[in-house]
Amino acid sequence: MVNPVLLIAVPLAFAFSIPLLGFISKRIGKYIPPIAMLFNLVASLILMPEVIRRPVVVSLGGFPAPFCITLFAGPVGILFSCLIALVGFLVSIYALDYIKEGAREKYHMLYLLLLTGATGVVLTGDIFNLFVFFEILCISSYVLVAYLGNKAGVESASKYLIQGSIGSAFILIAIAFVYGQFGTLNMADIARSIHSVSPIQLFVPLVLFITGFGVEAALFPLNAWLPDAHSSAPSTISAVLSGIAIEVGIYAIARVVFTVFGASSILLFLVLLGLLTLLVGELSAFSQSNIKRLLAYSSIGQIGLILFALGIGTNYGIAGGLFQFITHALSKVLLFLATGYMIYRVGSMEISSLEGMGKKMPLSSLAFTIGAFSLIGLPPFVGFGSKFLIIRSALERQSLLYTVFIGIVLLGTIIEGAYFFRVVQVLYFKSEKINRKRPARRSFGVGGEEAPATALIPIFILMILIIVIGIYPKLVTGILNPAAGELLNRIGYIQEVLR
Amino acid sequence: MSFLNNYIYYIGAVGLILIGLYILLAKHNLIKMIIGLAIMDTGVNLLLITIGYIKKGTAPIFSKTGLNPRNMVDPVPQALVLTAIVIGVAVLALALSLAIRLYQHYGTLDMRKIKEQRW
Repeated sequence: MVNPVLLIAVPLAFAFSIPLLGFISKRIGKYIPPIAMLFNLVASLILMPEVIRRPVVVSLGGFPAPFCITLFAGPVGILFSCLIALVGFLVSIYALDYIKEGAREKYHMLYLLLLTGATGVVLTGDIFNLFVFFEILCISSYVLVAYLGNKAGVESASKYLIQGSIGSAFILIAIAFVYGQFGTLNMADIARSIHSVSPIQLFVPLVLFITGFGVEAALFPLNAWLPDAHSSAPSTISAVLSGIAIEVGIYAIARVVFTVFGASSILLFLVLLGLLTLLVGELSAFSQSNIKRLLAYSSIGQIGLILFALGIGTNYGIAGGLFQFITHALSKVLLFLATGYMIYRVGSMEISSLEGMGKKMPLSSLAFTIGAFSLIGLPPFVGFGSKFLIIRSALERQSLLYTVFIGIVLLGTIIEGAYFFRVVQVLYFKSEKINRKRPARRSFGVGGEEAPATALIPIFILMILIIVIGIYPKLVTGILNPAAGELLNRIGYIQEVLR
Repeated sequence: MSFLNNYIYYIGAVGLILIGLYILLAKHNLIKMIIGLAIMDTGVNLLLITIGYIKKGTAPIFSKTGLNPRNMVDPVPQALVLTAIVIGVAVLALALSLAIRLYQHYGTLDMRKIKEQRW
């Protein structure tokens, strides 16, 4: 058996070894993140069957449960740590050749710290510990957004930092309130005694938690930083921020609302917030001419969809929401990775400059198409299963309200389809305008400008995963159902921790 | 005056948080915004400390005789604040270094003038 502590400790140790190894050789650093993430991936996969049978609870420091920091490796935590490790592994392989300039060792160290923070957030069972890991995640992402050091990067990083810090302060205030009322920081211990105080006293900390985590998760009124930050970071970082960081924010909201507060009366609010976020994200994405901003706004839309699914609050709804997490992580990372080298080759992020890419970079274009179709929800890709599950669970509520909501979700999907098809059309069906002013450009044959092998391997793996899970969703439903059960079954969570 | 006497730390903490938020919302100079962030952090830390504070309290040392357990100050919030201060320092240092780079690029720290990123 693997101890879940290793999922956090090993990448952390590797992260801080990178600058030390830099004294020996400047080139070792970039090989450390793939190793650490491969370890995490294997360890999570080994833990998975065990965790489905029964969650693994680790009490750090050897004290009994409410007095120590607990790690709760349940199905949700292991599902997320698996996803984080998979995405982190693939993106770090992509980064081997992609990151060529700047302080490379620091990039790799911060990248690993970001993933460590994300893994810590999903595994911890202590609310202050969650805040600390969340801050590790946030601070490393502020730095990585500014990694290129250009005008856009520094500007969006400072805006992201200001907004993110306000969010973190809100979380800390909420923790202060919760500690003042219950005298404990253990999530299970708080959950046990949450109904002993009047709901009005819980309202303020809950709102502060949702606002604070909502900044990082880019919920609708708090999403101003996201398009700037995601579009000005290097493509690898955009992929990780979009595939991991904002999802971890949503995870934190779900954990606080479902497990800690057991607030079933607030779910309708989450549904409405999700729909609003979905519509705003998709509509803004529709009007973008910059490919990375388009993808960033599309992430906001996806986050809205996930929140909508979680807010449905039934077993199927939450399973659908968690499935959508997988879809979004795989597809959006694939999209960002595929566009990474396209942008690098043409030197511009305008969609119109990508004309004719279908001939010049056929594999990257194919990857982009698959990612886009998967996000829209076309079969046989993974997005079909998750959207189908969400809509089915909303229909099962059998109320007029939810039927209207489904209409809004489908409208969002149509808008999403419209802008993704527009990009795909530009890639394949528009031949490059012959620019007589630049005839000196080297003529490449078909596929002559294709991305290097280190970029194509992760892209291939992601494409295969998207298609295989899409055709055979049973691969993931085995973990999705216990995971949904864990979020819904508060009593079970409390009993497991305070055994 | 007994109200003030009892709740003076809470009032102070909330006051600091609100002052910090006001600065962040109303000021446009990045340095001033960072100062607002620092004030808000201080307010949050004070709030955390206040929760565990007892007037004329003692340190929670159980092995030492003569200390009344009722008067012991809760040590957990102090440990939390220590962590929060470290995090705050990291964020402030990062924010100031970003401000330096921003000034090098734009020649100003007025956030109203720095808006290349637009939706």
